[in-house]
Amino acid sequence: MDSQLQSIVLNWIPDQSKVVDFGCGDGTLLKILGEKKSVIGYGVENDPEKINACIINGVSVIQQDIDAGIQNYKGMGFDVAVMASSIQCLRKPRDAMRNILKVANECVITLPNFGNWELRLGILNGKMPSSTQLPAKWYETKNLHLCTIADFEELCGEESFTIKKKVYLNRRGTSSWLANTFPNLFAAQAVYLIG
Amino acid sequence: MKTVSKKISFADSLTLQSGQILSGFEIMTETYGELNPDKTNAVLVCHAFSGNHHAAGIKDGEKKPGWWDEIIGDGKTIDTEKFFVVSLNNLGGCHGSSGPTSISSESGQPYGANFPEISVSDWVEAQKLLADHFEINCWEMVAGGSLGGMQALQWTISYPERVKKAAIIAASSKISTQNIALNEVAREIIRKDEDFHNGNYLAKGRSPKKGLKAARMLGHITYLSESNMRERFGRKLQDPENKMDADVNYEVENYLQYKGEQFAKTFDANSYILMTKAMDSFDPAKDFDNDLVKCLQNVKARLLIASFNSDWLFPKEYGLEIQMSAIKAGIDSAYIELEGDYGHDSFLFYSDQYADALKNFLNSNG
Repeated sequence: MDSQLQSIVLNWIPDQSKVVDFGCGDGTLLKILGEKKSVIGYGVENDPEKINACIINGVSVIQQDIDAGIQNYKGMGFDVAVMASSIQCLRKPRDAMRNILKVANECVITLPNFGNWELRLGILNGKMPSSTQLPAKWYETKNLHLCTIADFEELCGEESFTIKKKVYLNRRGTSSWLANTFPNLFAAQAVYLIG
Repeated sequence: MKTVSKKISFADSLTLQSGQILSGFEIMTETYGELNPDKTNAVLVCHAFSGNHHAAGIKDGEKKPGWWDEIIGDGKTIDTEKFFVVSLNNLGGCHGSSGPTSISSESGQPYGANFPEISVSDWVEAQKLLADHFEINCWEMVAGGSLGGMQALQWTISYPERVKKAAIIAASSKISTQNIALNEVAREIIRKDEDFHNGNYLAKGRSPKKGLKAARMLGHITYLSESNMRERFGRKLQDPENKMDADVNYEVENYLQYKGEQFAKTFDANSYILMTKAMDSFDPAKDFDNDLVKCLQNVKARLLIASFNSDWLFPKEYGLEIQMSAIKAGIDSAYIELEGDYGHDSFLFYSDQYADALKNFLNSNG
């Protein structure tokens, strides 16, 4: 996770809260949240190598498929659920969104923006595009449901998910006038606090 | 690897969960590696149902190494160059610790059926006295599989201040109804052996080996998965030259006959009954309104819970149940699901599946 993205997420998550990170990777975010904000954190991950990395990091991790697993975390007393660059990898992102808001009061979602100009250019070239945020080739990508910022915010509207906070970041992972003014074209990533 | 085998006598009387008192007892131990001057590098390994204190290395005159030899040793997962590993034969066992085959000081006869009922908590109490004996204030880790994993879990509940990490492999916080049912069939087979004599067979110079053998044969089926049995034995007929019994047709029958026979040579029938009863009754949440979350509330140790996909005796859902309760209780806990088609026995035969996770867990600071 880029440093600015990380500091945004850190700012949004209250001290000593109980956090679940769906698709927690090597557990870096949870480790930092534990160290800096005394968060009680749990990660959900399905990749054995990443799980081992979590264990090395001393992060509590559960080996589970996120699509199947989210609803098991209801009623566990989570304050915040995090889903960083994972939503597009799920088989049923809309159901996942509905469930995740039953798991915690708030959720932090980060999203690679498929509407970014660089990716649009790739498509114009007649090829499946790739970028820093979406580096994998079409035949090995884990992304199943890529969307643009416009698509995602439309879904939030339809489902009455309240976007409490949002930040758009450009390709370098920083805020910029362009990315904020024309996010669907110039932002490479978006991060949302949804309630 | 520095290995010390030693029988340790305790003069303390131990009040058991049943209310019975064991006045003085012996525990057979084997230790690997060396305890550091601060006594902070100790790992307790708890054996499963039929295991014993011999967990690692090969003893003189024996072919097979200890039951967790792949995990314990110099440079291995539980590195004995770094850690001091304590292994023991549990109370009620039949490999050197006080149990049904020991001589009762009151009657001068083997205890037999009169050896008191022992629970998993009782084992932990005895292991705590063992920790005191070694002046180990806090285990770096308590680890075990199956019934051994239950002891690791009980440690974290009974003595939260005295265990930093617990590895609970192919285990559960209570066994399934099906598992209790299977244990009861095994016990009934033993009890109905004409040489059982209500458990007092040693005093009569008899031994219910036929019953013990058949009970173990049943047990073996439950330790394996259907797919593993199919792949290993299929419907292959047994070579007539090597038949254990004239009635044997298929290889799988011969395998069970062999395993049962070997087991009956070294195990005690009363210990079999005692150990399976301890397994059946294990249910730490019972004292907490049947609420595992409440039960785990005071746990301070970090947990590593590992379950095997092919294990139908201790299904993975049971491991996950501990994990989910740990999350609700807000304690540090990791859960991994492992491949390995040996069923419950994957714990022993697919140890490579959890070796890395266990090593990283043991060496991590959280």
